[in-house]
Amino acid sequence: MDSHQEIISTHNLNKKFGGIVVAKNVNFSVNKGEFRCLIGPNGAGKSTLFSLLCGIEKADSGQITILNKNVTELKAFQRIKLGLGLKFQTNKAFQSLSIKDNLSISDNNFDIKKNKIAEERYQLALSEFKLKSEGAKLARELPHNMLQWLEITMILASFPKIVLLDEPTAGMSVEETLFTGSVLKRLNATGLTIIVVEHDMQFVKDVANKITVLHEGEIFSEGTAEEVSNSEEVKNIYLGRD
Amino acid sequence: MKHLLNLIDGDKDIGRGNKFWAGFFLVLICFFLYPTFVSSFRASNTAFYLLNIPMGFGLCLIWGYCGILSFGHVAYYGLAGYAYGIIAGNLLGNSWGPILGVLGGLVVCTIISGIFGYFVFYSRIQKWIIPILTLVFTLLLETFFVQTSGYQWRVGRVLLGGFNGMTNIPFFQIGTFEFEGYSFYYYCLVIVLVLFFGLRILVNSKFGQIVIGIREDELRTEMLGYDIRFLQCVTFIISANLAGISGLLYVQWGNYITPSQMGILQAALPVIWCAVGGRNSFIAVIFATILLNWLSFTLSSQGNQYALVIIGTLLVVTMVFFPRGIVVMIFEKINKNI
Amino acid sequence: MDIGPLILNLIYQLFANSAFLFLSALGLIIILGMMNIINLAHGEFMMIGAYVATITYHAGIPFVISVILSFIVVALFGSIIELLIIRRFYGRELGALVVTWGISLVLGQGTLLLFGPFMPSIKIPGGSYKFGVFSYSEYWLILIGVCILLIVLLWWVYSFTNYGLQAKATMQNPDMAKCLGVSTKKIYTITFSIGAGLAGLGGALLSPTMTIAPFMGQQFVAPAFITVVVGGATNVIYGAVGSSLILSAVKTNIGMAFGAFFGTVALLLTALIVIRIMPNGISATFQRYIDKKSLSTK
Repeated sequence: MDSHQEIISTHNLNKKFGGIVVAKNVNFSVNKGEFRCLIGPNGAGKSTLFSLLCGIEKADSGQITILNKNVTELKAFQRIKLGLGLKFQTNKAFQSLSIKDNLSISDNNFDIKKNKIAEERYQLALSEFKLKSEGAKLARELPHNMLQWLEITMILASFPKIVLLDEPTAGMSVEETLFTGSVLKRLNATGLTIIVVEHDMQFVKDVANKITVLHEGEIFSEGTAEEVSNSEEVKNIYLGRD
Repeated sequence: MKHLLNLIDGDKDIGRGNKFWAGFFLVLICFFLYPTFVSSFRASNTAFYLLNIPMGFGLCLIWGYCGILSFGHVAYYGLAGYAYGIIAGNLLGNSWGPILGVLGGLVVCTIISGIFGYFVFYSRIQKWIIPILTLVFTLLLETFFVQTSGYQWRVGRVLLGGFNGMTNIPFFQIGTFEFEGYSFYYYCLVIVLVLFFGLRILVNSKFGQIVIGIREDELRTEMLGYDIRFLQCVTFIISANLAGISGLLYVQWGNYITPSQMGILQAALPVIWCAVGGRNSFIAVIFATILLNWLSFTLSSQGNQYALVIIGTLLVVTMVFFPRGIVVMIFEKINKNI
Repeated sequence: MDIGPLILNLIYQLFANSAFLFLSALGLIIILGMMNIINLAHGEFMMIGAYVATITYHAGIPFVISVILSFIVVALFGSIIELLIIRRFYGRELGALVVTWGISLVLGQGTLLLFGPFMPSIKIPGGSYKFGVFSYSEYWLILIGVCILLIVLLWWVYSFTNYGLQAKATMQNPDMAKCLGVSTKKIYTITFSIGAGLAGLGGALLSPTMTIAPFMGQQFVAPAFITVVVGGATNVIYGAVGSSLILSAVKTNIGMAFGAFFGTVALLLTALIVIRIMPNGISATFQRYIDKKSLSTK
């Protein structure tokens, strides 16, 4: 098992919306088991990259490879079936349904053989996020942090190999953010590849192996948390000094 | 078997648990005993209320559970009816005629709804267009059939009949036994029961859960790995067949069909039953269909011209004050007080 | 066969059919564009317009005034309906569909009960011209002219009036408009009222060409809705104009070749094809094209 294997990558990915370039020659690559964070100022194209990876948006040109398969022409649900999970930027748990229903819709093990490790990850999230005992509650009655945790657990129910989380700790308190980070780190330690879009630099420094910085649709720089947070250039793009 | 029973008792339709089923079977027994107290004619009239229930089920499935409003679902009611009339009419004297007619009707519904569904669900159209397209489709069908009068418009020896419709449509028969009067009533009752339990199993199953997910949030459901377009199409086809079953029962009841069965006034009816009763509950639809059909029958047989006005007003009042449906909201209140 | 008169007649038919579709669909598109509501009582609003026209016309009022009265009466009626019922359904589009259907049933049957099965018809104003073997109705030429007038009027309202500005803002971003002090509730009522009034106007204008009866509105349902679907609601004027022209082109040609029924079938097929390629209608594609052009001059 080569732990430096690319599990998800793009090659010269390009996308325009009208006159606005949201992805420009993006060569993004994440290895198996990595915990990668994607940061960048607003409008840098982070959520768009996720949309392109998942197939919600079709790229104008370029190639996307997931688990050694060229998925560029595959539809979104087909890519998910390969072992991908996506948590949206705005919480998309099923508001009118109960927690139990939310989880049972997400529970599909497709062709992925009953994977013990993946099952354990799911159970871990269930118990850590205290979702087991609240089954009958409707999602919309939950406080915001629990909604986020619910959605994360929902993705784990389909035993993904890679999860993409778009601002999972948005709207959470400091303690909740730290807690989420710790659970995610434990999940990552079992071999789950995690890619997170985040703004909270504390969280990012706490969890990430490696950070990718996006700016105006391009990969601006990559490095460890130390390197990136000490970089003058990265500070400049956040402060608008081009 | 236990698994199926659990599904039937699931929570995706109102009513579950021992008390509910006890009441249900009590009512059911009343329905079974009813024909012994009334004439064959009355039983046949009540059968008319029953035979429309599958159509209500169909709309309930696609609208209440899947979130897609098909305004012109009567198209499949009509198509199945005409198809049966053509096939069974050409096979008069052959005891297999009616059975083949039923199969033919269902096949026609499946094919047409499949094509329509493909066009509609595999393009990224906005959801509000679907009710309009289905309505336009059924109106077109009506227009087509209206201008089929004259001898040149026939299939085999069955005339389509134009505005006046197709007549002399054979009863349903198995072997030499023809279903009419009392036997037709029981035939309808059994079909409604079978469909009811089948649908309760369906919506409480994994398939049903995914369909509900699609209704709640298409994108989220797709991103859980489900082929939502395919599933919407399948649900649409099933619901079209349910409407078709009502159409088949209708022609087997009255032995005739006219293009107005696919017209705008008829198209409104299943929507009204679902809106008034509660569109995401099969129990509610049963209530509403029987009640509203009885109401309009009583009103029109009294020569009351206000039938449509009353029903239209009922629809408006229900939508404004009972948005989830009268029966559903009453059940919710009862459950809260328990 | 002289090709000149044939082409002239084709053009005339094209524009006449366009006028029919445009007048039938305009009110519907305006309401859809603003509030995302499909008004299934649209046909009945047109019917009421025709009824007002015929009643006032036969009371001695000149036809032009009758038409204007129809607009006003139906607009007022529309505002009452909006205030009492429609406004509860913003955000619930399917609910709005169903409730407006209920309203249409009440209006249609109610009219039958109040006024009986037929109303006296209006003699079609103007004469007809003959050119070659084809005859042209002066009235349809007038209607084409009225459509052009309406287009200009609407464009003026959207571009130069306070209402137009507020309406455009509300369409794009209602929350933001509210923050800026626009009374979105008032805008919705006015818009629904205008949409209803235009439906009444269309019904009145088209009434001399048809039988005036309680369920006459239903013949507009299919064409109006197809026009709306194809046009889309992104840009009301482009959508209405573009859609009625394209659909008329299809209907005129197929209808001439194969008969009226197939003309309508062709309409439906065209609609299905258009939405397959342009899911949000012509106006959305057109709007994207305009946006692209203005952005690429950066």
